[in-house]
Amino acid sequence: MTLEEAKGYVLRRAKEMGLEAELLFVENRELSIRAQGGRLEELKEARQGGVGLRVVAGGRVGYAYTEELSQEALDWALEEARENALLSAKEGRIPPGRPLGSHDLLGEGLSAPLEAKRQAALSLEKALREDPRVKAVLMGGYMEREVRLALESTQGAQGAYRTGLAGLMGSFVMGEGASLKQGWDAQFGKEFHALDPGRTALELREKTARLLGARPLRTGRYRAYLEPKAMASLLMILAQAFSGKMAMEGKSRLLGRLGERIASELVTLIDDPTLEKGLLSRPFDAEGTPARPTVVVEKGVFKTFLHNSETARALGQENTGHARRGYRGPLGVGPSNLYLAPGGDLKLTDGVVITEFMGLHAGANPVSLDFSLQALGLWVEEGEVRHAVENFAVAGNLLELLQAVEGVGSDLDWVLMDAAYGSPTVAVAELSFAGA
Amino acid sequence: MLQAELLEAVLKRALAGGADFAEVYAERSRKRQMVVRSGRLEDALSGLDYGAGIRLFFGTEVVYAYTNDLTKEGLLEALETLLKAKGTLGKVDERGMGGLDFRKRAPKGLHTPKVPYGEKDKRYRLERLLEAESGARIAPEIRQVEASLLEWEQEVLIANTEGVLAEERRVRTRLFVLAVAQDGAEVQTGYAGPGKSVGLELFDLYPPKAVGEKAARQALTNLRAKPAPAGTFPVVVGPGFGGVLFHEAVGHLLETTSVAKKASVLSDKLGERIASPAVTYIDDGTLPHAWGSTEVDDEGRPTERTVLIEGGVLKAYMVDRLGHLQTGYPMTGSGRRQDYTFAPTSRMRNTFIAPGDKKPEELFEGIEFGLYAKEMGGGQVKPGSGEYNFAVQEGYIIRKGRIEEPVRGAMLVGKGPETLMRVVAVADDWENAPGMCGSLSGAVPVEVGQPHVLVSEIVVGGRA
Repeated sequence: MTLEEAKGYVLRRAKEMGLEAELLFVENRELSIRAQGGRLEELKEARQGGVGLRVVAGGRVGYAYTEELSQEALDWALEEARENALLSAKEGRIPPGRPLGSHDLLGEGLSAPLEAKRQAALSLEKALREDPRVKAVLMGGYMEREVRLALESTQGAQGAYRTGLAGLMGSFVMGEGASLKQGWDAQFGKEFHALDPGRTALELREKTARLLGARPLRTGRYRAYLEPKAMASLLMILAQAFSGKMAMEGKSRLLGRLGERIASELVTLIDDPTLEKGLLSRPFDAEGTPARPTVVVEKGVFKTFLHNSETARALGQENTGHARRGYRGPLGVGPSNLYLAPGGDLKLTDGVVITEFMGLHAGANPVSLDFSLQALGLWVEEGEVRHAVENFAVAGNLLELLQAVEGVGSDLDWVLMDAAYGSPTVAVAELSFAGA
Repeated sequence: MLQAELLEAVLKRALAGGADFAEVYAERSRKRQMVVRSGRLEDALSGLDYGAGIRLFFGTEVVYAYTNDLTKEGLLEALETLLKAKGTLGKVDERGMGGLDFRKRAPKGLHTPKVPYGEKDKRYRLERLLEAESGARIAPEIRQVEASLLEWEQEVLIANTEGVLAEERRVRTRLFVLAVAQDGAEVQTGYAGPGKSVGLELFDLYPPKAVGEKAARQALTNLRAKPAPAGTFPVVVGPGFGGVLFHEAVGHLLETTSVAKKASVLSDKLGERIASPAVTYIDDGTLPHAWGSTEVDDEGRPTERTVLIEGGVLKAYMVDRLGHLQTGYPMTGSGRRQDYTFAPTSRMRNTFIAPGDKKPEELFEGIEFGLYAKEMGGGQVKPGSGEYNFAVQEGYIIRKGRIEEPVRGAMLVGKGPETLMRVVAVADDWENAPGMCGSLSGAVPVEVGQPHVLVSEIVVGGRA
């Protein structure tokens, strides 16, 4: 069956079976081109899609999905979802929905010919090698992703949108004397034509070159300047503490702290799924709640968790429209474009500039918010960068870190992980550094 | 899953289009996940993944496509997309004309589960999860417990233009318990997550109640633990998942994915001493029922036991087909991928440090002040610089040779080659543990392992 046929079939069958059902249809298109030594190394062009089901039977919720669209597979998925619901003890319902329209957030963004994209990958890889200190390129290339999503429920929700993004990425090894550093970064945008391989390569090289000749850092407590991408990566961990799902499950440290000051008043955190150039903007969430900006922390005060209809009901709070779901998973909560609002001027005085954190998935605990992370950085004295530092870890608790913010810059930049996270450079009064 | 005639049609068209080598990988996977919280089933998900990937080699250039449409039309359309992208459409090669002589490989059933997928109903599974949850309720400080079961039955088929036709049904089961302990404002977690290439007999191998209790004890230990000290100390790394240290610090550096591009600090070092003589390091994809075992790899080659380092000397790398073409090293059955959406790359399977001859307690003797990293979390490495990190999930201070108070939040950081040389002693109590490893070809199940190992110094990231 085609996706369209499958949609009609599943909705019809669900009604016959007396189920409330919500269907999420997703079609992903992926193109990635990796270059190596001036030649094509791997080119990948593909499509993938499936249907995710959320059904309510006897007032309980169950899930199933299938990528195989035969009648047999669709029947299997419906039956599994129903069986999962009947066994489950979690009460729920499919929220009443309405027509949401059909939206195109991508437009002509990826319409360039394949040859232009191949050239972009080759140019990036070539430009990465233009510095004699680059010893090896592990990866240099271009990728794009296009998503078509359609939501439909027996309760009246109906909507669709198309979105996508393009990016350049590089991973390479730089060396000078005995000092070796591996650089990795990616730059994304909504339009192929806005990408600039030469500029991206130059930035990647400069970012890595400044880390060469690093010295060990002496164990101690220092002021830290978190560069935009380093701070943004911490927001990914923090976002879990803001998740209504984590709160509902008793896994958020912020439960019971609404309205309290949890951060320095320089900290304002916003999730805005409506940002025009936002990498992960969307017209509505995975349950069909229309998107709008949400201020999570305003001048240090905790304003709201991020909710879907289920977590909002469980905690007796307002649904913020943050339902998130791929067709392969159950309903969750997540931000789209979450960022720390830029401030003003930020001058370096003394301390350590942290350029990158490593090992976030292992070294930061999303429940306790304790972290101990390997980092790369630069030693700053009297307002000047003196040398790079390495072989050290930074430890603390993310809530304490937010409270210790004493400066916020204006240089907002983004990283793309499970959502888009943005931050300017942030100065933190004191952090604990372990080294030699 | 796919008929030989269909495979032959696709592969021959690929050769006719100018490819030197072509491969079809098809997959049909059923997954089930059940999550119990607060004494009840909260999330229950069932899923069916179904798709195929086609990979073509033009010399060492690779083009890859995947699709959910496994009909002849669907696969040929994906193939034409690739040939068009490569720009060789219409170029006809003589080699496409003959028939393909598939050598069908019958599975030996080395990892066949004792309890087949369909045997027990969901209620049986739910009851085991409830046992795990109640097993974790050992103290009033345990505020939240989450017990989940992941079952994964993956059927794969791999065929290529060299006549390989391999099929395998891989069944994996994992139980995971997370316990959250709270005391006033202090919140800490503990977890346990046994998994193997078995069916529901996992519950016999790892009784759910005991798994729950283990997670809870760790959460309680962390609740009373002080922040770890910061600095450079001797570290005794515990057995089992402790092996993640060497998975990050060494394993990734020996995959041809980075070795072939000289993007690993351990490139071009075969036959050289790269570790202390105490270190023998093995990647074994054949261990019966191990979490990272398969009969064939995702390129259709039988998996192997590969001795990577023997007595400190580098003996072999982990080599997939592309790595073999790029380096000339023999393939080791190490081509792996998360699923049909990834082309395979060289990956670890079950990788461990072989047991030594010391008793575990001998490793602690003579340590004035150090860290016992009893249980690990995950980690990460940059192969090009060798810089790695990994988190300690359960740690204790060693003082005058004795294991003393618990500490939490320790992160071990260093450079792989330096750490390898600093392995002072290896004990005789080897064990393995399961994990998921993320890299270029996605997240694949692996085991890591080792006996107790003493490293003379590692930077420990704690509170200064």
